[in-house]
Amino acid sequence: MLTSLALPLALLLTQQQSIADRLAGRVPPDIAALATELATDAAGRGLPIDPIIQKAIEGSAKRVPAERVGAAMRLVVTQLDAAAGGLRDGNAALSADTVAIAAGAFALTAGLSGRDIATLARSGSPPAEVIVGLRVAGTLVALGVPASETMTLVTGTLQAGRPAGELLALPGRVQAEVAKGVTPAQAAAGLARAAAAQARRGPPPGRGQPPPHPTPPPHP
Amino acid sequence: MSKRDFHPLVKQLLDGDITIADLPAELRSEGEEALRLLAAVDRRPLQLPEVTARVMATIGDPSRRKFWRRVIEPREIRIRVRPWLLAPALAAAAALVLWLGRSGSPAPSSDLSGLVTVRFVLSAPDAHDVGLAGTFNQWDASATPLVRTGAGLWTATITLPAGEHQYAFVVDGERWVPDPAAPAVDDGFGRRNSVLTL
Amino acid sequence: MRSETEASPDGEIVRAVLAGDRERYAVLVERYRDRYARYAARMLGSADAAEDAVQDAFVRAYDQLAQCRDPDKFVGWFFLILRNRCFAERRRNRTSAPIEAANAVAAADRADGGAEQSEQRRALQHALLELTPDQREVFVLKHVEGLSYGEIAERLSTSVPSLKMRMHRAYDRLREQLREQT
Repeated sequence: MLTSLALPLALLLTQQQSIADRLAGRVPPDIAALATELATDAAGRGLPIDPIIQKAIEGSAKRVPAERVGAAMRLVVTQLDAAAGGLRDGNAALSADTVAIAAGAFALTAGLSGRDIATLARSGSPPAEVIVGLRVAGTLVALGVPASETMTLVTGTLQAGRPAGELLALPGRVQAEVAKGVTPAQAAAGLARAAAAQARRGPPPGRGQPPPHPTPPPHP
Repeated sequence: MSKRDFHPLVKQLLDGDITIADLPAELRSEGEEALRLLAAVDRRPLQLPEVTARVMATIGDPSRRKFWRRVIEPREIRIRVRPWLLAPALAAAAALVLWLGRSGSPAPSSDLSGLVTVRFVLSAPDAHDVGLAGTFNQWDASATPLVRTGAGLWTATITLPAGEHQYAFVVDGERWVPDPAAPAVDDGFGRRNSVLTL
Repeated sequence: MRSETEASPDGEIVRAVLAGDRERYAVLVERYRDRYARYAARMLGSADAAEDAVQDAFVRAYDQLAQCRDPDKFVGWFFLILRNRCFAERRRNRTSAPIEAANAVAAADRADGGAEQSEQRRALQHALLELTPDQREVFVLKHVEGLSYGEIAERLSTSVPSLKMRMHRAYDRLREQLREQT
């Protein structure tokens, strides 16, 4: 189900106080001020703030100049907005899920597009699996699998109704194949063919998809 | 609490938990101010009879869709990341990540808490100290030092929750080294972070 | 087109539309159009923007109807689609001028209720637009739409204490804004 929006349930401090606590001692004041402003603004739009805070802390730990940290944080916000937009295009109810937005933003960082995110969101799988699908897709691209082979493999695995553990195992299996000498693209394509063959045999017991309706509403 | 803020009892009045009769005398006028605020709320329904016809026309006619689609399109972000492949020249920094608790089985970590134990190993014979920094420890390499185990290997074993984590090794307190055998993404600062997806 | 007074429950209509009876979707639009237009108008501060948002949201909900996991809870699912459409409007129109927008809502007032009431409404709408979207939303859902804290918490998947905290800050900011306007 949808995760809590904006404020985490456990925190009864004000949002700004909790942001300040996370940054205290780790981030110089000018970066902290910008991070607080960006995060508060993002939270008001229903976006997760953790990726923004993480980027501020990371940049400070790496002793990056403040300007560059600011630019990186703004890029994170842009990616979060784009991820929310991609999710909305695929499944509008999912775009209110901050965990899904963060997973989508990671997929964008890795090199997927807003359209790819919409495609995964539209897969019809339960939200928890879409989230894992987004993370795994980003990880595969980060391994060197081109976006199109990644999308084929992940959407195929999702639509076959396989459990989330199999999704999570995909990057490791691609790496294992690459170690034998094939390219990442070839490894992913091989796994996708295997997944498609499995899909034709039907989903595992208890994991059937709802029956398709006879005349579906048109998609744009 | 600022003098400009409503008194907590008046906020309960606004919430509808108490009535104005429940307020002490000195808060009456503030209570009345609060009720005037609520009275100014515009609750009239907005009547839009034409919306129905337009919606039905749009869904029935694909060619009209683009005209009515005043949806805010997200800006597409394409960040080309050169994928990191194991480079033989970096044999001195080769690292392994072993997944304890999975034992090669395809099943997901059935641990009820969703935690996975992960061992990080780095080969860095010339290093004096090595730390692990990532999203799971506030990017603080001193929080997770690796231990030298002989033959130039450094090791750390930590337990992480399910999710997507980014990390890098920090050698001698200043050299940030991504994990050559792991997937990598742009860190936004001109460097690479390694990715661990559990 | 079917009669607007059809009394079938939402779930039945959704299932019928999914089975191919497209025209019955109009019943859902008629049923919820004005109520959600009101929420959108208070959130966006403009009747025109609200009309666009509601129209777009209904079209999008139709396109994605197959993904409404519980047809009996169509209204809560549709609300999220509209809500995100309103948030997207805010993201795009970061430089919108709240004053003009609030006047556009109040312009229709003058015909009824008298000048003073319409002025108060305009002032409060202006003040509402100065809140953060989160604060404005909880205020609108409770005091315009009449939902209880529990109902709002369920709709937004959050907790009652966190909503109350947001609301109480909204009360203070509204008071501050209204004082500044006089």
